[in-house]
Amino acid sequence: MSAHATTDRVKYVFIWPAFFVVLLVTLFPLIYALVVSFQSMRLVPPTPPRFVGFDNYADILASGRFWGSIWTTAVIVFISVAVQYIIGFALALALHHNVPGAALYRVSFLLPMFLAPVGIALIARMLFHPVLGPVNEFFSAFGLENIPFLTEPNLAVAVLITVETWQWTPFVILLMLAGLQGLPNEVFEAARVDNISAWRRFWDITFPMLLPLSVAVIFIRLIEGFKIIDTVFVLTGGGPGTATETLTLFAYNEGFKKFNLGATSALSFLFLIVVIIFGTLYLAGAQRMVRRYR
Amino acid sequence: MGRKTYFRLGLLLALIWLFFNLFPLWWVIVTAFKPPLAVSQGATYFPFIDFKPTLQAFRDALSGVRGDFAGPIASSIIVSILSTGAAVFLGAMAAYALVRFEFRIRLLAGIAFAVIAIGGFVLLDRYTSMRVPYALGLVLAIALAVSIWLNRQRLPGPVMKNDDVTFWFVSQRMFPPIVSAFALFLLYAEMNKAGVRMLDSLPGLVLAYTAFGLPFAVWLMRDFFTNIPVEVEEAAMVDNIGRLRIFFQIVLPMSTPGLIATSMIILAFIWNEFLFALLLTSSKWQTLPILLAGQNSSRGDEWWAISVAVLISITPMIVVAIFLGRMMRSGLLTGSIK
Repeated sequence: MSAHATTDRVKYVFIWPAFFVVLLVTLFPLIYALVVSFQSMRLVPPTPPRFVGFDNYADILASGRFWGSIWTTAVIVFISVAVQYIIGFALALALHHNVPGAALYRVSFLLPMFLAPVGIALIARMLFHPVLGPVNEFFSAFGLENIPFLTEPNLAVAVLITVETWQWTPFVILLMLAGLQGLPNEVFEAARVDNISAWRRFWDITFPMLLPLSVAVIFIRLIEGFKIIDTVFVLTGGGPGTATETLTLFAYNEGFKKFNLGATSALSFLFLIVVIIFGTLYLAGAQRMVRRYR
Repeated sequence: MGRKTYFRLGLLLALIWLFFNLFPLWWVIVTAFKPPLAVSQGATYFPFIDFKPTLQAFRDALSGVRGDFAGPIASSIIVSILSTGAAVFLGAMAAYALVRFEFRIRLLAGIAFAVIAIGGFVLLDRYTSMRVPYALGLVLAIALAVSIWLNRQRLPGPVMKNDDVTFWFVSQRMFPPIVSAFALFLLYAEMNKAGVRMLDSLPGLVLAYTAFGLPFAVWLMRDFFTNIPVEVEEAAMVDNIGRLRIFFQIVLPMSTPGLIATSMIILAFIWNEFLFALLLTSSKWQTLPILLAGQNSSRGDEWWAISVAVLISITPMIVVAIFLGRMMRSGLLTGSIK
């Protein structure tokens, strides 16, 4: 190590540019936003900044729209991630055991997560059109004509969950498949010799061994899911009313339709706190589960 | 249930998913060729059978009679390529440093940085009439200098190592983007007022997206570099070749597949990104996702036009996905996933 000491300084040349960009673009504006969140500041009508303490935070916590948007976001995220995990894991298992045509599935199954959510939402808008769309045609065959998919609150949430599932199940497939391929083969050979059924093999060996990876995959999906705005923005615009308004969309509307900058900053920090709380709770719960399996 | 049953269940699931997966894509491709009548009279699925395909929608889009397509396409291409390049380059350098060198950062120095930065800015903001960007810049410089000096001292308290630095980078992706996007919007707006054009400008967008892609670049490239044997570099060091030259002439060429894979993933993220573009652009540098989101209200039931716009946005990413799928089959990406 001492021989390297003289050349060691060069490590700063390597890391500083990246460090500096992140500092400049993501952390530094945060300081400004934090200060603004304690001020009353509007663009329309323009009011000079005034220190108001925790007023912005109190206002938001008292507004039903905030809690509504947390509820909507949580419903969309938890249900869609659960569905993604179950389907994704099942498909990864199928691919791992080389169902016929696995090569074809591999490419096409990955596709959705590389496509722009805005574009996918536009496609979904056509598919779920209550009169002209193919989904309507499908349901019409069962006598359910012209269902208002995007204008009835519960159905709109269901459509959003479907779109999320369509787009992000590939992520689960990709990671679980990589996990499956990394498992040691000997254990499964031994289990097969002992004539343990496939069902038990999965629950006693595969599932516990992949539990840490599952925890990580679900965690990433939850965190990413909470950011949802693009699909909602295009599909429902948060409507009908505010029935499908997610947290990010709420913050955007607050900032760019009301131009209430102080409140929007406060809201974005509350959002951060919500994500941290959910994340910590999840990780604590997940750790317990992993430990129990050991 | 025997092995066969599971096998059949798996195949059934895969086939159902394949249909679910590909139907929307089939729909958008087919719809782009539809004449108006094939849309307004209910769902149609097969060209030549259900309707007579036409290229009219593509002609409209290319000739620009239906609004400006070329502008957003150009800005999307320029912004995503520049930012991807910068993010991968800076990320690869940082990742290399994190793999080959040892970093020690004292927690106290980090805390001092936060306290000086936030406290200093609050003071400047309240008691001086300094403009926000200058005040922030000044505070940044002072806080950095103090914390670097503090880090050299023998302070008590925990010391953070390379894994913590990596986590710091990756954690930037964990918090909701609206927080940093909105904060960045506020700061850019202040800079615009101070005479430096950042909102709706190329440098502003590229800077934001570089920071957006960096965490991925650091995380992915770190795994590629760990898998490169250190012996080659050690041999070069014996020959007294500088670390920077080793990095550029030996390490980077050796990790070309990793660089390509990382670039493609980040390119896809930036190409598709919506929120930053929505907040930071207004007219000149609008990217494709923003144009797409606008199609909805401006086009209504002109599905053929909407489909063409969607196709323009997703086709490059389909190519990227297929390419990555191929790389993955050769076992290239499995290492980075763990």
